[in-house]
Amino acid sequence: MAVQHNDNAKFLVGIYDDDDVVLKAVKEVKNAGVRIHEVYSPFPIHGLDVALGHPRTRIGIAAFLFGLTGFLCMVALTVYTMGYDWPMIIGGKDPYSLPAYIPVMFEFTVLFTALGMVGTFLVSNGLGPTVKPLMFDLRSTDNKFVMAIDLNKNKLSETEIATVLRTSGAAEVNVKQF
Amino acid sequence: MHVTSSVRTPLVTGGKTYADVTEDICRQVEGKPTREWTIAFAISFIVLIYGTACVFWTWWEGLGVWGLNKTVGWAWDITNFVWWVGIGHAGTLISAILLLFRMKYRTSINRAAEAMTIFAVLCAASFILMHMGRPWLAYWALPLPNTFGSLWVNFNSPLVWDVFAISTYFTVSLVFWYMGLVPDLATIRDRATNKVSRYIYGTLSLGWNGGAKTWARYEYISLILAGISTPLVLSVHTIVSFDFATSVIPGWHTTIFPPYFVAGAIFSGFAMVQNLMLITRVVFKLEDYITFEHIESMNKIITLTGSIVGVAYITEFFIAWYSGVEYEGYAFLNRMTGPYWWAYWAMMTCNVISPQLFWSRRIRRSIVWTFVLSVVVNIGMWFERFVIIVTSLHRDYLPSSWAMFSPTIFDISDYIFSFGLFFTLFLLFAKFLPVINMFEVKAIIRSSSEKLPASVSGVAKGERVANPTFNKNAE
Amino acid sequence: MASIHSIPSVEEQYEFTAESKRKLTIGIIAGVVLVGLGAFLAAKGIGSHEHVEAAHGGAQSAEGHHAYKWTTRLWANVWLNSVYFTGAAVTGMFWLAYNYLAQAGWSAVFKRVPEALPAFLPVTGILMLITFFVAGHDLFHWTHAELFDKNSPEYDPIIAGKRGFLNTPFFLIRLVIYFAAWYGLWRLLRNFSLREDLEGGTEYYEKSIKFGTAFLVIFAVTSSTSAWDFVMSMDTHWFSTMFGWYTLASWHVTGLAIITLVVVSLKEQGYLKAVNASHLHDLGKFMFAFSIFWAYVWFAQFMLIYYANLPEETIYYRERFTGHGGIYQAPFFVNLFMCFFFPFLVLMTRDAKRTPIVLKIACWGIIIGHYFDFYENIMPAAVGEHGGFGPIEFGMILIFACAFIWSVSTQLTKGNLIPRNHPMLEESLHHDI
Repeated sequence: MAVQHNDNAKFLVGIYDDDDVVLKAVKEVKNAGVRIHEVYSPFPIHGLDVALGHPRTRIGIAAFLFGLTGFLCMVALTVYTMGYDWPMIIGGKDPYSLPAYIPVMFEFTVLFTALGMVGTFLVSNGLGPTVKPLMFDLRSTDNKFVMAIDLNKNKLSETEIATVLRTSGAAEVNVKQF
Repeated sequence: MHVTSSVRTPLVTGGKTYADVTEDICRQVEGKPTREWTIAFAISFIVLIYGTACVFWTWWEGLGVWGLNKTVGWAWDITNFVWWVGIGHAGTLISAILLLFRMKYRTSINRAAEAMTIFAVLCAASFILMHMGRPWLAYWALPLPNTFGSLWVNFNSPLVWDVFAISTYFTVSLVFWYMGLVPDLATIRDRATNKVSRYIYGTLSLGWNGGAKTWARYEYISLILAGISTPLVLSVHTIVSFDFATSVIPGWHTTIFPPYFVAGAIFSGFAMVQNLMLITRVVFKLEDYITFEHIESMNKIITLTGSIVGVAYITEFFIAWYSGVEYEGYAFLNRMTGPYWWAYWAMMTCNVISPQLFWSRRIRRSIVWTFVLSVVVNIGMWFERFVIIVTSLHRDYLPSSWAMFSPTIFDISDYIFSFGLFFTLFLLFAKFLPVINMFEVKAIIRSSSEKLPASVSGVAKGERVANPTFNKNAE
Repeated sequence: MASIHSIPSVEEQYEFTAESKRKLTIGIIAGVVLVGLGAFLAAKGIGSHEHVEAAHGGAQSAEGHHAYKWTTRLWANVWLNSVYFTGAAVTGMFWLAYNYLAQAGWSAVFKRVPEALPAFLPVTGILMLITFFVAGHDLFHWTHAELFDKNSPEYDPIIAGKRGFLNTPFFLIRLVIYFAAWYGLWRLLRNFSLREDLEGGTEYYEKSIKFGTAFLVIFAVTSSTSAWDFVMSMDTHWFSTMFGWYTLASWHVTGLAIITLVVVSLKEQGYLKAVNASHLHDLGKFMFAFSIFWAYVWFAQFMLIYYANLPEETIYYRERFTGHGGIYQAPFFVNLFMCFFFPFLVLMTRDAKRTPIVLKIACWGIIIGHYFDFYENIMPAAVGEHGGFGPIEFGMILIFACAFIWSVSTQLTKGNLIPRNHPMLEESLHHDI
């Protein structure tokens, strides 16, 4: 996610007023041959990631594996403690009475899935308490939709891209240097 | 593409823009505490201090200060525990199940409901610690081998399952709630005018910037979290019900307990959310976001879950007779007509009969009725747990050990402690964090607002707009 | 973006072709032949399990010492299939009712499918009445008068204590009330729906919400009591407070699987063009979630009985696990696997729920699995060690399934396949997740 901090990182920033407009604009800007760095919005816009061509997330696989790990951990713990290390007959059941351990196995599965998945999400998106976000416009967490275009990664000139952005419905077009 | 049927009632009134949503909700966080808030907080805090002193005395002296006796070994402690855990179910449920069902009215109430969950679970956990008597040995409930050998905790015990269930539930609910907060915290961070709050909200918002890729993954994990939280909510109260139902005590051992406890938990949780939201709505002037439609929808769920609980009561009663088991039959007859008849009938009236009033459209759209009936429901749900626990225990198989339970001042004060804790935490939350999920409300404005303003974006206010430090026009 | 696709026409008329009718007729005839064959074998005493019992002996139900007649198995199969298809049919109504109450928008486009299911209710209702009159004495232990007679050696104080509920007149009254109420309310909703197609407006929608809610109130009670009547009372001594909700969970998910299967099949035949991958995804989610819910209810009931280990309760699982020479142990595990593990694993991923063929496999798994659920609950009580899987079982399933498909197909022809004036239709056509 993070943009490399070199001295001449220079962005054109299109500010949109409307979520429906920005969704259409993404297609227009892309059709005009402009590479979009990212679009920032105050709330998720349905279909935006598809329009931008972001690949589908594979975080679900990670979640499944974490869940499986949690499940196996608890299977191991109950097998070891109740069935092997100190077997006891409780309530007339076998020392290892599987149905009675299903509740804890379930809890551990959920716990590992949740924590593991959220951890993966934070790491893969570069989020954390000490992270300084790159904000192209502070209003993008309030009411504006912000399309950022990395000038160094585009062949078109600044003026040409600015025109594309304006035609696609941007209310403002700004320059942002880091 | 948003298509909304014309038969749907709007969920946001007043023609709000995105900027209005931000402004209306952040105002409370950024402004000085209001007088109402300060008074409420002072009262809660005093109650908390008094309660804390009583809890410490309970620990210092031992559980003898409670009214427990040899026959009734569980009474208010576990009643309060189950009551609070039950209340704690609505939050995650509103968020998770209603998210899965894409119920849009969820967006205005989920934040407060989730916060309520966390505080309610903390209150519940405090009773677990309290009833241990020696809380410094609480780690004995964890699967650690003891010092004399490798004797482990008994995984056959529902009380051990409870340790896992409650701690998992608390952790996952906290994560769920916090992840929901992150984008809104970023909004507050970007509006902050002083360094301290920029630093605090900046740290809390984890560097969120709202990029499309982040949002897509965020929505995905929210769905999965909702997907695993739903069975988690069910499992937690199921395991709480197992505390009773795995035993062979008449009135406790009945197979319907798991789903019936879950329904009851949702029922009381929704009632508590109603109470909190009705107050918040007025005090914070959020009438445009928590509309009559929200109140009505929640009242419908209260009626639904109340009726499910009612069906379960009747089923238990019927099967107690049908089974032909003498002790089971007696336990239920004793509930109804024994010395604790008043608790039983309080439960029946409050839980089964009173929510039926919501069949009247006028009543379910009335603020006063809703508030009063929600309180009534929670009183009823407290009595339900009291009935299950105390009336089942107080008449043993041996008539010579029959006894009654009378609460002492410490039973009562330790219960009051949990109210102090709950409201102190809730008021802190209401002041320093956005009580309504801003980004989710913004996401439904277009489809569910009463009337759309000319520009749905609106004009953002504040210093950063008037004087942007790093923007300059292109060309 | 899926939602940008053009929306196909909502004018569709289902045609119940002569070819399908021919196939269904052949199916029914084959079923009758199989049942006839099975009955012949049973009457001759071929393939019975007596020898198994002789070898194992031991645990068996204390009930039903009356002489076994081979026809009992025949009637038990009629009863079993009637209960199963009653559930499938009434779930259609249940679905409609809760979708109206919850103001669901997405499901409007295929609403005619659940709407078609309850038409089968009179068939199963009448069959159940006939079965009760003809074979009630063999299937329902509590119908024996001597159990209630203090002077009889057969007197059973526990069953005698249930007399207020388990007596023939009251049982018959309840049976009639269930079917009359369910079917009657469905007719109302069905008429509203068909008239809405012609006249439009929101009047019928509002009315449907009202009567749907009335159905839910009635069903809240009757779903439990009917489960006690139809299934639990066959094991006359045994009781479980969960049983009503357990049966409801089973019926419900079966109905969901049938609805999904019909939607996918119609789509494959070129109908329901407006149903998109998002609808299928959501139907898949429903099946996934309610399979887990069924497993939850199953486990909660099993766990509590297993854990508390009270003889009067445990006997139920004991009988199914090791009783009757162990013939019910395999179905016990098949049931668990097909109703929970199979749909859970198959439907876990997003792609699976969006792929018609995978959805169909999951549907069949659930549909077959829940047959085993009812088989496991009914057969040990009804026929005990004389049970099994033979021509009677397969034939009877074939007859009922073909008749059910016939009924559903007929209903589908009776209106436009998409409820063209449903107020939520526009939302449903643009459904995109």
